[in-house]
Amino acid sequence: MMPDEGSTKDVRGGVLPRILGLQGRLLLITALVLGTCLGAVGWVQDRTFKATVRAGAEEQLRAVAYGLLSAAQDEANELAFGTELGEPRLAQPDSGLYAYVERARDGVVWRSPSSVVSVGHIGEQSPLGRRPAPGESAFGVAATRSGPSRFALAYTVIWEDLGGAELTFWVLTDRAPFRREITEFRRNTTIGLLSAAIVFVVIQLAAVRWGLAPVRRMAARLNSLEAGRRGDIGDDYPRELSGLARNLNRFIAYEKANRDRYRRAMDDLAHSLKTPLAVMKNAMREINGSSANVMNDQVERMETTVTHQLSRAAAVRTVVPAKAVPVSPVAARIGRALERAYAEKAVDLELVDAPLAVRVDERDLLEMLGNVIENAFKYTHKRVRISVRRAKGAVAILIEDDGDGIAPADRRRVLRRGARADTESAGHGIGLAVALELAEVYQGTLELGDSELGGALVRLELPGRNGS
Amino acid sequence: MRLLIVEDEVLLAAQVDRFLRENDFVVDMATDGEEGLYYAREYDYDAAVIDLGLPKLTGIELIRTLRREGNTVPVLILTARSDWRDKVGGLEAGADDYLTKPFHMEELLARLKVLIRRAAGFASSVVEHGPLRLDTSSKEVRVDGTLVELTAFEYRILEFLALNPSRVVSKAELTEHLYEQDFDRDSNVIEVFIGRLRRKLDPAGRLKPIRTVRGQGYRFALDSIA
Repeated sequence: MMPDEGSTKDVRGGVLPRILGLQGRLLLITALVLGTCLGAVGWVQDRTFKATVRAGAEEQLRAVAYGLLSAAQDEANELAFGTELGEPRLAQPDSGLYAYVERARDGVVWRSPSSVVSVGHIGEQSPLGRRPAPGESAFGVAATRSGPSRFALAYTVIWEDLGGAELTFWVLTDRAPFRREITEFRRNTTIGLLSAAIVFVVIQLAAVRWGLAPVRRMAARLNSLEAGRRGDIGDDYPRELSGLARNLNRFIAYEKANRDRYRRAMDDLAHSLKTPLAVMKNAMREINGSSANVMNDQVERMETTVTHQLSRAAAVRTVVPAKAVPVSPVAARIGRALERAYAEKAVDLELVDAPLAVRVDERDLLEMLGNVIENAFKYTHKRVRISVRRAKGAVAILIEDDGDGIAPADRRRVLRRGARADTESAGHGIGLAVALELAEVYQGTLELGDSELGGALVRLELPGRNGS
Repeated sequence: MRLLIVEDEVLLAAQVDRFLRENDFVVDMATDGEEGLYYAREYDYDAAVIDLGLPKLTGIELIRTLRREGNTVPVLILTARSDWRDKVGGLEAGADDYLTKPFHMEELLARLKVLIRRAAGFASSVVEHGPLRLDTSSKEVRVDGTLVELTAFEYRILEFLALNPSRVVSKAELTEHLYEQDFDRDSNVIEVFIGRLRRKLDPAGRLKPIRTVRGQGYRFALDSIA
């Protein structure tokens, strides 16, 4: 009844989800959504701000142009400006704000004092590639071959006083301050959005952890269940999981009940077979002749079968492993009980214990240890030593005595005694074989060796508790 | 020696009963736990054989009750299951030994003898008191190495006294341990057997192995060497 590892795997799950886990999945999705949203917000904000800056620049240049228009005078058929240009920066050389007036066919007729030493667009014809029609204005980034990038605004008027001359007022301003403003804004936006993202992720992380806490609790309890530290997974789960938890608990309980019922059935079977066997065996003493011997042999064989096969059949390893059982207390119990039964031998029992537990049903542990320790008491002269120690991923229980030991040549036979009732009639003394069979049910081992005490060494190795 | 057998399987109980009687035990049978408890409270037994799977009162409960009441009768448990939980539980409740069914009668007899001897404080099957040497397994009695021929009943009286040295054993107690419960308890019979024992063990009258304590009973009066 081993679960087939291969068939239980869900092949539809991809590799990525398996690596990520639930928490990872939720966080990945959040990160994608958050990245897209914040990116879009940033992009829109950036566009809007750029447009605002541009509109601001246009507004500013238009105001300067209007100032110039109102300041312009007609002096001797020439265009002239008073000292008041309406904008102090126009009077300041290299201030970043420039203006000039272009007369159709005549070229530049006036330039602001600020543009005296400036190079670049200043004085060039039509930095925007065209001049607006009279009464209209144009705004844009001045096409540049060299020099700093500038915003340019052109406004064309028909100047009545100069004989209806067509004048285009050009106002230019350096883009650098606006760019700085945009850069500043971008930096602030980025910082703001990133901070928001970080806060979001932290909150999301907390939410995911909190939201998935019941799942993690369930997983942890399943681990303890498997390690034998718990008998169920509890029922304190939110609505979405309570059904699953209830079913799991029910399954665990069902399995346990099933095992118990099976055990009882095996017990009853053994009980109901053994007493008739005992009666037959005793009745046989009163019969003589060869047929009595044959019957005796058969009764012994049946007895072996009952003892051996039934105890093996009763040991069922379940899908949900049994609760871990501490070894030393069980060994000590058996030791004390046997000291009583073997009182006349005055056995010197030594227990080297360790706080180790095995993932074996307690009854089966009692059965294994009982058989092995009884054997030691039976064959010892004086000393019996039981040591419990940690082995690789398992717990080793060593039972030693100072008896005559078991010769290497006999060990195989002793361990396989009664294993096949039809080939060997063994009668008593199948304890070690029974213990081995039980150990194998739990994927444990039982080995025979020589003890430094002088007698037999039985090394029983059973699966230990996870992480203990 | 008087034994109590508590076993609910009638056939098996009858076999055990017959076998033990053949081996000179006085046997009382009980077929459930409550009856067993009644007998154990009522009579003084040298040993009890108790099956663990009993109706009414389980063997373990029976033993626990007896021990709680201060009854120290040696108990051998019979268990049909090779279940160690039962064995250990029985021993922890106060049983002294166990035997797993199906068992050999000879094994049962040997275990019982050991239990009775152990309860009397003798480790070996041979009990020695001064020049008297009593082998409980072969039922041979020797004085100064010379075999003394005893009848089965004489031997049983001597064995009981020798296993209970240094205390006064009343005639009633002897009767109880050596006779069936429905036996006509004529104390003169005990006196007659004690007299015969004294003559056989000590024809010259110098050992005086069995003292009469007036109005109380008898006391085994040789020093123990065992």
